[in-house]
Amino acid sequence: MKYTIVNKETCIACGACNDIAPDIFNHDRKGHSHVILDDNQGTAAVPEDFYDDLEDAWDECPSGSIKVADKPFDGDAEKFD
Amino acid sequence: MSQNDQVFDITIIGGGPVGMFAAFYAGMRQLSVKIIENLPQLGGQLSALYPEKYIYDIAGFPKIRAQELINNLNEQMRQFNPTICLEQSVEQVEKRPDGIFKLTTNADIHYSKTILITAGNGAFQPKKLQLDGIENYEGRNIHYFINDLNKFAGKRVVVFGGGDSAVDWALMLEPIAEHVTLVHRRDTFRAHEQSVENLKKSTVEVMTPFVPTEFIGKHQIEQVVLQQAKGTERETLDVDAVIVNYGFATSLGSIKNWGLAIDNHSIVVNSKLETNIEGIYAAGDICTYDGKVNLIATGFGEAPIAISSAKVYIDPTADMQALHSTTIMKEKNTKA
Repeated sequence: MKYTIVNKETCIACGACNDIAPDIFNHDRKGHSHVILDDNQGTAAVPEDFYDDLEDAWDECPSGSIKVADKPFDGDAEKFD
Repeated sequence: MSQNDQVFDITIIGGGPVGMFAAFYAGMRQLSVKIIENLPQLGGQLSALYPEKYIYDIAGFPKIRAQELINNLNEQMRQFNPTICLEQSVEQVEKRPDGIFKLTTNADIHYSKTILITAGNGAFQPKKLQLDGIENYEGRNIHYFINDLNKFAGKRVVVFGGGDSAVDWALMLEPIAEHVTLVHRRDTFRAHEQSVENLKKSTVEVMTPFVPTEFIGKHQIEQVVLQQAKGTERETLDVDAVIVNYGFATSLGSIKNWGLAIDNHSIVVNSKLETNIEGIYAAGDICTYDGKVNLIATGFGEAPIAISSAKVYIDPTADMQALHSTTIMKEKNTKA
């Protein structure tokens, strides 16, 4: 199982992850990236079909704001930092 | 370390769109100007992250390609011949007793009467390849940017990456290099359809899904060992040069150590774009104030305010309000 969350404190709203993994990320009303699977709580397991896209988005994120873990984040992007 | 003793009126830290427009406007206000940019190119996020994307909220342009906007800003700015220092990141800023700022970068020392910080979300650095011992090859035959294609003439080049730039670089190198291999860890590329089509028709050898696991070579990389992603197959390539295109990472870096008031990763400014340090200004995404909106459009509005504030700081008899651009350019062209 993989979980993901965006740290909105550090997200620079460049839109890269929205382009790469539109099934996982969209932007919120301020333009910051946002996990659409669970309202950016990091509690929904990412479907395996999206793992490659998730890895690409994680790779490309210029501010290191996309967090990925094998446990739920429970809404705290810095939980495993 | 070389010493550049000329004291500029204003030094702009960050060569993105706002810094470039500020450099132009500094020229309009007859200030000598220098831009310090940490990447080997100007254009900030627009050139580094999304050169091909259209932007729809630049005044006067119903839509414009990000790189085209940067090219236009470059042309506009060059009318005043600003001094441009690329591949330098400012590490230290110190105000001397005579009020002149001393800026120490990784490569040089600069002097300036004022400073404008237009560093957006911080300095961009290419993401490095994470492999043990890779640091031994830094500055030798591993490259994170291509400045001169001819350096790769007749060489066996391997390019790592799956985005637009990686594919574009592989295609640009194809007619120059002896052999080009493009390695990506998944079978699909995140590049434009047309580029991927061109790639298929080219002689570029595409190796997917592979990741690098080891570099071999005494002084420089002579062989690259690849492993199949989620598989066991291994391949070894003989190479003369390695190019890595894994995107960029950004960080505020040393800026937070310069004594500036910072709020939530942004520099606090007043309505004149002044920071808490007299003579240092900030504009664009890096600055914050009540009601701040992070857009290129607002940064373009902030730049002339910051420059005019700096102008009045340098010359208290100057007006905050400049003449119309038509008048300034007419005077400039008459003198020339």
